[in-house]
Amino acid sequence: MTLLHAWLIEPFGYDFMQRGLLSALLLSISGGLLGSVLVLRRLALMGDALTHSLLPGLALAWMLLGRGPLALLAGAVATGLITVLGSALIGRLTRLKEDAAFGSFFLVAYAAGIALVSQAGTRVDLLHFLFGNVLGVSPVDLVLSASAAGITLIAFVIAYRGIVLEIFDPIFSRSAGMRGGWYYGGFLVLAVVNLVAALQTMGVILALGLFLLPAATAYLWCDRFATMLGLSVVVGMAGSAVGLALSYHTGISSGPSIVLSLGAAFLGSALGSPRYGLLHAARQAWRERRSVRHTTD
Amino acid sequence: MAGHDIFRLSDVSVHYGRRAALEGITAQIPCGALVALVGPNGAGKSTLLRSLLGWLPLSRGEIRLGDEHPRHLHPRLAYLPQRLEIDWDFPISVRGVVSQGRWPALGLLGRFNAAERERVDRALEELDLTALADEQIRRLSGGQQQRMFLARAIAQGADIFLLDEPFNGLDLAASAELLHLFQRWLGQGRTVIAAVHDLPLARAHFSHALLLDTRLVAAGPTAEALSEANIDLAYHRRMPVLGARP
Repeated sequence: MTLLHAWLIEPFGYDFMQRGLLSALLLSISGGLLGSVLVLRRLALMGDALTHSLLPGLALAWMLLGRGPLALLAGAVATGLITVLGSALIGRLTRLKEDAAFGSFFLVAYAAGIALVSQAGTRVDLLHFLFGNVLGVSPVDLVLSASAAGITLIAFVIAYRGIVLEIFDPIFSRSAGMRGGWYYGGFLVLAVVNLVAALQTMGVILALGLFLLPAATAYLWCDRFATMLGLSVVVGMAGSAVGLALSYHTGISSGPSIVLSLGAAFLGSALGSPRYGLLHAARQAWRERRSVRHTTD
Repeated sequence: MAGHDIFRLSDVSVHYGRRAALEGITAQIPCGALVALVGPNGAGKSTLLRSLLGWLPLSRGEIRLGDEHPRHLHPRLAYLPQRLEIDWDFPISVRGVVSQGRWPALGLLGRFNAAERERVDRALEELDLTALADEQIRRLSGGQQQRMFLARAIAQGADIFLLDEPFNGLDLAASAELLHLFQRWLGQGRTVIAAVHDLPLARAHFSHALLLDTRLVAAGPTAEALSEANIDLAYHRRMPVLGARP
């Protein structure tokens, strides 16, 4: 008990740890919700591309406007939009498919981002940008996290039915009078806002981990969409708390340590989930082979 | 209800860019009929289905559904997705899918009360899915999956069912079961319109047929519309006719 206390409770006695934890818990809410859509709509790789494309916008905003959350948000939204619209345009009007367009755009954006950061010299700390720094979570960042989580939660409560239909059966959703384009656009905007909000704690690349990993984990355990949303949020929160404690004790940056603890939950589920895990699949394949051998003998 | 026309098409044309997908279709679809849309690939079967649903702008002509134009959100119309278009691993139960039938009427926030639940229960029961209601949808057979979408349409209150190649990927038993269901509906005032590429199946089981080759080749009771002469015309005599080979 005392060990658990020392390991998991004590670190959160400090103000900066409390702010970091609160921010991560808030973003676990929106991350779980948006991540579930990402997993079911097969947008995981697009999400990855999107996070990389935010870097140049963030770096430019930092250099020109300072490091206020609103400035960073503006920069990120700008380059995020350029990537999404640019690759959609190239995907539609040239013979390139959208994934190749996205991949190319995100590499160029990522390179531009790194070039900008290195040009800025010591004014911008690259490691801080890439991997997050829990020490950097200011009260203003907390407000941004709370707003991002709040807006996302409200959007999901109001548009729940539309979201289910948009993912599950877009044709039916169209015949039911719902506007697919609005849902997709709204989803991208919410994703960018939440990624920026997660920047301080998680870093620009790993922020996606707070979205994707909890949802991928939850998907391996449940057969109802609402349950998946709830479980994703819970997994995200637990992983954030354990990850931040890990970061405190080991000195690993908060982004990687949160992603690693979420990763443990994901790998454990991928192996051991009773219905959809690898072990279950292997056991079934073995049983089938054995029964085939029995019948042929 | 039976006897009058549920759909009336006059001179209907649809273009994709400069290419005509449908040209000058004039036809009536009687209420309570089981109608096969037949024609070679690219003949405009799917385009006609989408036009009947009110999803496509017509470049010429008019479609009337009773006294109205078909449109989005029309509660009488239900479109059944092709089975390939659905992600069967989606975390949802059979009852969850059938409940979606009530959502267009309820909107995003309308309350799903006891009366709504009762409608869903009845739709499940009518299509013999009550025992499977709580299963994840991957665990259904192909025929049961089709019945689930029909149950969603019935929960919606639809009485006109538009299906794009519903027999694709179904085994013989499941096809027979689905046809049996449609036959039972025949004369109950429910209208089924299906794009079908299997000619013998259309001939054997459907009451009416529309034979398309961008233009309308023939329409009417199946035996007349799908006569050998008409089929030759629609398929440009590329169709090997049994017994005609040397």
